[in-house]
Amino acid sequence: MSSPTASEQSSSQPPQSGNSFLGDVWVNFKRWNLKAVRNPFVLVVSLAQPIIFLLLFTEVFGQIAGGAINQGGAGISYETFLVPAIAIQVSLAAAITSGIGLVNDIENGMFEKVLVTPMNRTAVFVGKTAAEVMRILVQVSIILGLGVVLGAEISTGLVGAVGIAFVGVLFSLWFIALSNTLAVLTRDQESTIIAANLLQFPLLFLSSAFLPLEALPEWIQTFARFNPVTYGVDAARALMLDRDVMTVLEVTQFEGLWNTLVPAVVVLVALALVFGGVAVFMLTRATGSDVQ
Amino acid sequence: MAGRTGQSEVSNEQTRSADDRRVTESAIATTELQLTYSDGTNAVNGVSLDVPEGEFFGFLGPNGAGKTTTIKVLATLLKPTGGSVRVNGFDVTDDPRSVRSSIGYMAQEVSVDEELTARENIRFACEAYGVSSGERTERIDELLDLVDLADVGDKKAEEFSGGMKKRLDAATALVHDPPLVFLDEPTTGLDPKARNRLWEYFERINEDGTTIFLTTQYLEEADQLCDRLAVILDGAIVEEGSPAELKRRVGGEILDVNLANAESERAATIAREFDAFDEGATVETTEEGISVTAEDAREHGTDLLVALRDADITVTGFNVRAPSLDDVFLAITGEHVEDLEDAAHLENGDRQ
Repeated sequence: MSSPTASEQSSSQPPQSGNSFLGDVWVNFKRWNLKAVRNPFVLVVSLAQPIIFLLLFTEVFGQIAGGAINQGGAGISYETFLVPAIAIQVSLAAAITSGIGLVNDIENGMFEKVLVTPMNRTAVFVGKTAAEVMRILVQVSIILGLGVVLGAEISTGLVGAVGIAFVGVLFSLWFIALSNTLAVLTRDQESTIIAANLLQFPLLFLSSAFLPLEALPEWIQTFARFNPVTYGVDAARALMLDRDVMTVLEVTQFEGLWNTLVPAVVVLVALALVFGGVAVFMLTRATGSDVQ
Repeated sequence: MAGRTGQSEVSNEQTRSADDRRVTESAIATTELQLTYSDGTNAVNGVSLDVPEGEFFGFLGPNGAGKTTTIKVLATLLKPTGGSVRVNGFDVTDDPRSVRSSIGYMAQEVSVDEELTARENIRFACEAYGVSSGERTERIDELLDLVDLADVGDKKAEEFSGGMKKRLDAATALVHDPPLVFLDEPTTGLDPKARNRLWEYFERINEDGTTIFLTTQYLEEADQLCDRLAVILDGAIVEEGSPAELKRRVGGEILDVNLANAESERAATIAREFDAFDEGATVETTEEGISVTAEDAREHGTDLLVALRDADITVTGFNVRAPSLDDVFLAITGEHVEDLEDAAHLENGDRQ
């Protein structure tokens, strides 16, 4: 080991961290991907639940739901109707693990360890989020592939499939932000998991995910209007079916599926900005060395 | 958020050095460092330190005295609410990234990513500190060797014992060959063997020229490792000097004598009148018997035991030991460490 000498230390150049912003992003992106690969159990389990939903729902509700989803429309299978919702469910489940990862880091000291390195702190979180986004892309692709195998049809073809994966990512951002905010607030793994999971099912069921809203009670329709899941599912479903499926907002200026996609994307971007802003504030407070 | 106390006294200090980023040759220079938490807790209250390059410096104190808070300020994890703090010549508030690049920091709790292997943990640290890719592999092997983990380098850290994790943690703090390393109670909770091993590593890197700032609750550890010590209590430094000076403060080594019957008083009288010990020897009665503190307690302890037997006092046990931190605090403050800790916890709301 080379020994730092007095002359080295008294030079007037500050030591360089050596990494650019993108370099720091890359370092953290690699770490979180490596952790994901090291822990395939989490990957499998977070995919398993949505897959079970997909299989059970199509088997159990397929016959009954067929009537509801085909009222006044061209006949589509329940598989085709459900796959976009499952894609959003996967995004939601993956987003929960973002906060869990952060809380783990806080608990095992890695959070503090990273804070004493010269890495850019924004780059640290960008790298981590990028790894999570990549995971969502892969998982949504798996769900779409499985859906097609089960008989679902993506009317917009490959372009639409890519579009659905990106909708999944865009949708996940607000929940990634929320789960990180919960992580910073609770600083406790169990509380974060419980809080995030508690939200997951009401959000999914009280939306357009599993049945068309017209088939659901009035109060659920009202709730669904304010539920981000509705906008994620509608956007994905519009791409899946190649038509305007949104019922919570009446937008007609565009053509076909764009009457759903445009307003849904606007809502999701707005949500991502608002929740992202809160998360950035909370993280800045937690990482900023200001005394708390 | 923070009550910025002590700002006014500092401003002179800061303007004087404002145009020169590196003004001192000291590894650490603090003047009247203050840290007040937002709830009003005064964790550090006017600590002034000057640690020259290459020194093995020990920061000693009971739980809740302000050791960890001080080290976190020095490592840029907390912003000082008053005073000036320079680490490797950089101001911790104005230039935290330069400070971070030039220090290694080992937190009190083990901080390793248990899902990654030892090698991957060190690799991540190398990348985080910008160790160039050409040097990385060699550096990783060198550090694995240094902390004796070369043969388990590809095992996940979750399989490691507490001591192994600590050693891995230490290795990740050294990847960029920092001229200054902070060690916050590095051996707390380790068995003696693991502790001795860590001590060896720290001595080795210090011999290579690295300045070390170590906090500890153990006088023995400070005695073994440190060139110079400061003792902190209630957020203020109460004593500074070499380990030998601190021990001299206590007045030598300690002979504890356990007695069979309730004859402590009579034994204490004999010990006090006993003229074999040096001047300045002190005798106290304890629950088990008596306790003698003297420079030559080791040499002349047996003489006292003989004298006690001659006086028909039954000795059931005896032990000569080096003074503990508790003895030092007793000598400095007249109070036992536990009482000081209780008081500190009441005052600080259990925050260190």
